[in-house]
Amino acid sequence: MAKRILSMIINSQAVGPVEVPDDLMMIDFLHEHLNLTGSRLGCGQGVCHACVAILDRPDGTSEEVRTCITGVHFFDGKRVRTIEGHAKRDVQGEVSELNPIQQKFVDKFAFQCSYCTPGYVNAATVLVEKLQRQPVKRSELEGEIEDALGKHICRCTGYVRYYSAARDVVESLGLVKEG
Amino acid sequence: MRAFVLAALLPLTAFAADEQLIERGKYLARAADCVACHSIEGGAEYAGGLPLESPFGTIYGTNITPDKQYGIGEYSADDFYRAVAEGERRDGSKLYPAMPYTSYHLLKREDSDAIYAYLMSLEPIAKPSPQTDLSFPFNLRFGLSFWNMLYKNRVQLQPAEGKSEAWQRGQYLVEVLGHCGECHTPRNALGALQQDQRMQGAVLLGYEAPSLLADDLAARGWNPEDLATFLKYGISAQGSMFNEMYPVFHHSTQYLPQDDHQAMATYLLGDQPPEARQVASVALDKLDESAQQGRQQYLNLCAGCHGAEGEGIPHVAVAMAGNTTLRLSDSRNLLRVIDDGIKAQQFTGFERMQPMPGFSDTLDDTQMRDLLHYLRQTWGGLDAELSPQQVSQLRSEKGH
Repeated sequence: MAKRILSMIINSQAVGPVEVPDDLMMIDFLHEHLNLTGSRLGCGQGVCHACVAILDRPDGTSEEVRTCITGVHFFDGKRVRTIEGHAKRDVQGEVSELNPIQQKFVDKFAFQCSYCTPGYVNAATVLVEKLQRQPVKRSELEGEIEDALGKHICRCTGYVRYYSAARDVVESLGLVKEG
Repeated sequence: MRAFVLAALLPLTAFAADEQLIERGKYLARAADCVACHSIEGGAEYAGGLPLESPFGTIYGTNITPDKQYGIGEYSADDFYRAVAEGERRDGSKLYPAMPYTSYHLLKREDSDAIYAYLMSLEPIAKPSPQTDLSFPFNLRFGLSFWNMLYKNRVQLQPAEGKSEAWQRGQYLVEVLGHCGECHTPRNALGALQQDQRMQGAVLLGYEAPSLLADDLAARGWNPEDLATFLKYGISAQGSMFNEMYPVFHHSTQYLPQDDHQAMATYLLGDQPPEARQVASVALDKLDESAQQGRQQYLNLCAGCHGAEGEGIPHVAVAMAGNTTLRLSDSRNLLRVIDDGIKAQQFTGFERMQPMPGFSDTLDDTQMRDLLHYLRQTWGGLDAELSPQQVSQLRSEKGH
């Protein structure tokens, strides 16, 4: 089995250099090598988006990437965030404060089984950060939320509470312009 | 008494004959793929509206429902035949050759009448057809008579002597009804088909409609059985229909009977088809340096769905091994698909393929070139290197 060396930054922590198979998928690297098991393997075909991580680009923008269909070596030298990286932690490493998206999803009972939730948290986080750079008009907000969350599949709640929670966070952070 | 029974039966017989004619017209309209241009997605069938982009501007498919104001309700069967076969509207003005009368001019009169009967049996829909939006001088319809005379670019059938019945039927389906040559034959600077290069392939809106010549098809791995399967199911061992062929499959070929698929394959590959070229996978250590680099791009971005060894995943993504698109020498279509992606596809019998993402923002030109080299050399049987200029040129010729 051919192997290559890679290194990257995951949740602000340097990972590697480490030698891993050249055809290893990112989700397997997260689960098996780093014990970061929060990213969920759903369809394994790039459809459900439960597995997405956030790729932070050098220009300060971010995007979701499906870790079930993207090879780990794609992330060589890049910065990545996973569901484990959002909450604040205390000195023991225990979660002390959820990020606003996570907290709102809990408050609004946005999920039931939670399998899709890590993907939704990452998608909504990318949306909030995008709107922090560039707020949208109120009339455009629903379209922005649909663009951000619309590809994610949830089999329990019917999406309404996820969308409602995302809308609440965006509005409470003042990311909407009148119009 | 007998007279009474006869009188009562006659209208029924006439009605049954009409029904048969309409049913035949429905089949022929599908074989001629009328709906593809004369409808828009989500709109009423045959009510017009599809914008056909051309280098000269936009032409819209017209309403061909029997509406008297906006459709063909005032057309007689003669008027209809003249429009379809001669490109002449009821008012005598010329149709733009986006209407493929260059192929339909050989439509049998009885087939035109059957299509007419079918269209006239539809619900009339009072929807105006959008105006064409062509640049000067192409917006002048009177110029079309001159254009038609100048180029005489009409399809001519090959002699049927010594050919099988299936070949002859296939020729009519491919050349006339299916009007395949309208896309697969190159056009000159004024949009006229270059009949001396009939079916030799052409570039349309950034994608290549590949050559349909028998030797070229065989070189790209086609045999008659698989070609018939491809027409019927939209998918075969050689890959799936995408870009402009996907709606052709959807609106037309999937509905044709098996005999028609076999006839079309027989005509395209000939009564004595050339042997389909098999391409064996080439091992990594036999690839050039760029292709070896490209393997990592493949594993990073493609293998999750197409398989590390190009085997594909059923109902998710087609195999790369044996894929016909990889064998096109300039890799235009391969590059376009990688850059643009493909929407989710539905095929016959619940077959489907997942959407493919586009990678235009992910791969720079060097990475794209490496990836193309890997795909071409491993599964396409193509050793020739693409120059960096070729790759950036192809990328700049965006699709739609």
